[in-house]
Amino acid sequence: MSLPYLLRLVCLCLASFFLLHMALGFAVTLATPVAIRLAERMRPRKASRFLLALRLFPSAFSLLLVAGLCAPSYLLLEPAFTQEEVSLWCVAAALLCVTLVVLSLVRCARAARRSIGYIRYCQLVGRQERLAGESAPVWVVDGPAPFLALAGILHPRLIISRSVVNALPSGELAAALRHEQAHQLSRDNFKRLLLILAPDLFPLWRGFARLERVWNRFAEWAADDYAVAGEPHRSISLASALVSVARLGACPQAAPLVTSLLADNQDLAERVERLLRDFPGEPGEERKSLTVKIAGVAASVPVLLLMFHPVTLTSVHGLLEYLTH
Amino acid sequence: MEALGPLEITVMEILWQHGDSNVHDVTQRLDRPLAYTTVMTTLDRLFKKGLLDRRKSDRAFFYQPRLSRAEWEQKRAGDFVAGFLAAPQTSGEFLVSCLVDAVGRHDEALLDELERKIRLKRKELYRRRKT
Repeated sequence: MSLPYLLRLVCLCLASFFLLHMALGFAVTLATPVAIRLAERMRPRKASRFLLALRLFPSAFSLLLVAGLCAPSYLLLEPAFTQEEVSLWCVAAALLCVTLVVLSLVRCARAARRSIGYIRYCQLVGRQERLAGESAPVWVVDGPAPFLALAGILHPRLIISRSVVNALPSGELAAALRHEQAHQLSRDNFKRLLLILAPDLFPLWRGFARLERVWNRFAEWAADDYAVAGEPHRSISLASALVSVARLGACPQAAPLVTSLLADNQDLAERVERLLRDFPGEPGEERKSLTVKIAGVAASVPVLLLMFHPVTLTSVHGLLEYLTH
Repeated sequence: MEALGPLEITVMEILWQHGDSNVHDVTQRLDRPLAYTTVMTTLDRLFKKGLLDRRKSDRAFFYQPRLSRAEWEQKRAGDFVAGFLAAPQTSGEFLVSCLVDAVGRHDEALLDELERKIRLKRKELYRRRKT
């Protein structure tokens, strides 16, 4: 297939992204069991960050390589404004990449629409109230369905059903609200959006589902740790709140970009046992020292220099030529 | 899939655990002493039901399961549900309601157990504080 200069660039970038993403994605899928075992030895907050980074690594790194290597090498070394033949394999890879991206965008738009609809519904039927121990007002919704959730990305809101407010004593309610605040502080809804936006391994195949499930579990545990802060009484209150809310009935995930106190009942027993056994606490955010920051910058300079070195660009251009033909 | 008797299930358990075995091996691994011929008949019946494969070696048959334990359980559950739902509509509804009840009872028992642990922990904490 003969394509003009700019269209060929787009085709090559998309095909390169697809191939890189697929190779890295397979590597991540293979490494998932080991990564999960490693994460289980870490503190939940660190584990959730590690698993999120691993999940986003294939798409982020592929994007970096395409933008930092493929596009510059093509623009610098490919003779301008020429018409050239592009192999069908290359076009097929580019089309698969487009399918992956479109599917991710559709998934993301659908999740955003459902979440916005959910928030609007809650604002329509609920009203803002100040609950004991909570500085900001909380949306309280009348109705039989029991839930306590954090909804929204830019301005997350705490939404709670009247049945939960009535069922929980003040200590347990405060612990449950602190759990949701932890999700707010760690921007878990935004991370959920990133997970939905990150392309799959292959169109219509959720190759990272296990990684995302385990990330979700660690994110819940990290929020539990923040809410409890190593205090035995808070720990018992939160455990009791979890059981009380579970007793009120099933709490289905209301919308994809909403974090609920009990979205996954499967994990309930493990969470309660952990709260009673460990009284877990989250140490304060460790500040990265200036030395670490300087080391990071110093390490990235040679990488950037290497990326734009003529030999690197020529080699990448050679690979792109191979991909084109 | 035909239902299995207690001895047949025990024999299947042994084969799932130890793999390729002959009649003598299975007889040795049983919890209670049983006649060689009883075990042989049971293995032969399981072979005829299509649950075992067998090969001859030195005039003795060696048996091994055709399905893994998980596959067998999945097939059994699938056959059971399919059989129930093939009956008139009321049977299907009855099955679903029974399953929901069973899950509900299981959940209730789990929540009771968790609540008991929370109460114990509270008491323990209270006692520790007093001392």
